[in-house]
Amino acid sequence: MSAPPVVEARDLTKVFPMPAGPVTALGGVSLRIDPSEYVAISGPSGCGKSTLLHLLGCVETPTSGSIALDGRQVASLSDAERSRLRLARIGFVFQRFFLLPMLTAWENVELPQSELRIPKAKRRERTRELLAYVGLESRADHRPSQLSGGEMQRVAIARALANRPSLVLADEPTGELDEATGTQIADLLDRVNADGTALVVVTHNAALAARAGRRIAMTSGRLA
Amino acid sequence: MSPAGLAWRGLVRQPARAALGVAGIAVVGALLFDMLLLSRGLVVSFRDILEGAGFDVRVTATDAPPLLGPPLRDAETLAETVRALPEVRDAVPLRSGKAEATAADGSTLPIYFFGTGSRSGHGWTAIEGSGLTPSADAGTVPVVVNRRLASRLSLTPGSKLRLRGACGSQATALPPVEMKVQGIVAFPFDSSAGLTAMTTLPGFLRVCANESPGLAELLLVASKPEAGADAAVAAIRRVAPGLHVFSNEQLLDRLQRTDFSYFRQISFVLSAITIFFAFLLVTTLLTVSVNQRLGELAVLRALGFRRWRIVSGLLCESLLLVGAGGLLALPGGALLALWLDRILRTMPDLPERLHFFVFEPRAVLLHVAIIALTALLAAAYPAVLVARLPIAATLRREVVS
Repeated sequence: MSAPPVVEARDLTKVFPMPAGPVTALGGVSLRIDPSEYVAISGPSGCGKSTLLHLLGCVETPTSGSIALDGRQVASLSDAERSRLRLARIGFVFQRFFLLPMLTAWENVELPQSELRIPKAKRRERTRELLAYVGLESRADHRPSQLSGGEMQRVAIARALANRPSLVLADEPTGELDEATGTQIADLLDRVNADGTALVVVTHNAALAARAGRRIAMTSGRLA
Repeated sequence: MSPAGLAWRGLVRQPARAALGVAGIAVVGALLFDMLLLSRGLVVSFRDILEGAGFDVRVTATDAPPLLGPPLRDAETLAETVRALPEVRDAVPLRSGKAEATAADGSTLPIYFFGTGSRSGHGWTAIEGSGLTPSADAGTVPVVVNRRLASRLSLTPGSKLRLRGACGSQATALPPVEMKVQGIVAFPFDSSAGLTAMTTLPGFLRVCANESPGLAELLLVASKPEAGADAAVAAIRRVAPGLHVFSNEQLLDRLQRTDFSYFRQISFVLSAITIFFAFLLVTTLLTVSVNQRLGELAVLRALGFRRWRIVSGLLCESLLLVGAGGLLALPGGALLALWLDRILRTMPDLPERLHFFVFEPRAVLLHVAIIALTALLAAAYPAVLVARLPIAATLRREVVS
């Protein structure tokens, strides 16, 4: 018997109301992500990749359909419970890194842990471990403005892993990086997945998508 | 990291914006603090002067302000009657008039001139010499003068002072009376430029050539501490039902409703305006700040920060901005109050000890409460923006922009 899925989406539909009329971003998408799976979602711009990622990450609610995360139906959760679920079970990596500019690399990685009320000693240990994991121990006290794009994305990955999530969602993680740096980030994501974290990557980067165990193509809000 | 810590780091990250915000709040906060001081300053100051005079009840013939209405008749008998009341410690009739003091070079100075039934020193503070003690020489009229008159005429205790009364109908016909200065004193209601002399009631009558004996404009009464002013007022009303009897508190209450109410209304209007400016300033700063950081805030929400956590961070930012500005406003407001008070006190004929801006701990507490409330209200709109922030749509917008 196979392990229960990390996330399971059934018949997801997302319709955005627009002044010119409703736009269907997703139409009847079903998807199951198993533990330690590495899934790449590709497709043309506007096909609904990021919308699917946001739905899987519980930052958006579907117009219809259901999402179960670690066996819990997300639709039945309150906003606070969904926040808690994201904090504890999901890691996000964004195209534009979105590190907090007033915090150091260390503080950015520590932030989700303190929000989850992890004791200080454990936070310190985990932050040190994660910065070492992404190769940035020596840049711990640096602010994002003092880091390169690749370094910022590595800090963002460390932040995503801070609370030991079962699922990491990465939206164009190499989109802002040159090829060499993008490859380093792709290597790092491989390692994250190899260490047991399920990974869903939305990307236009064919080389990055090729590293995934499962590649999904999307067109016009549907899985191809 | 706590919401306050995160808010602090957010402010430090943009020091110019934070400094401008704090400076703006400090300026409007200083004005607010001054308005709070002004709203009760006159009352507090006037109470100090009244209580400093040593009397807590006043009796007049009508409800006209003291010394401005018709005089009491048979005042010394009235004083005796009142003094005999068990609630009363002392009762002193006071006459007022005008006189001219003659300087050594023969020139004359118009002065305020009073006659009092008190020899105890109630009603003035001795600076030099004694009070109105009976003189060994029965023909000598004792007088105490204020420091300004003493200075103008080079008077010291023991000096002679020639006064010509300007009393009622005999104003110009009265001969001067030579008086002996027994002390230099400070009268509670002395104005900054006023020249004042006070003698005994018989002395007053001599200067005024026995015009209208038995009259007094005012009866000053000191209640016994164990009885209190209200009991003394009630007792005097029983024995002198036709007269107007009021305690210091009642006088202050009347002044608050009449003469002082202008200042209270002005301070209220200006307070409301300054609070509104503070509110607008903080709301604008925070709204701009929130709009600049929508991406960051959406990311925090995506990472799992609860809505309330983000809103509380914003409230902390508002409180830090307004708190820092509000604290700076206190010394700034105090200096401004001293300056404004000095300007207002140059108005003629005001008691020298009267202040318009008076520091009270309650003004600081009220200032802090109003500032904190303003901070919370000012954060309301940006807080709503943050609370309703659509995470996914904001992230999409940030990536596209």
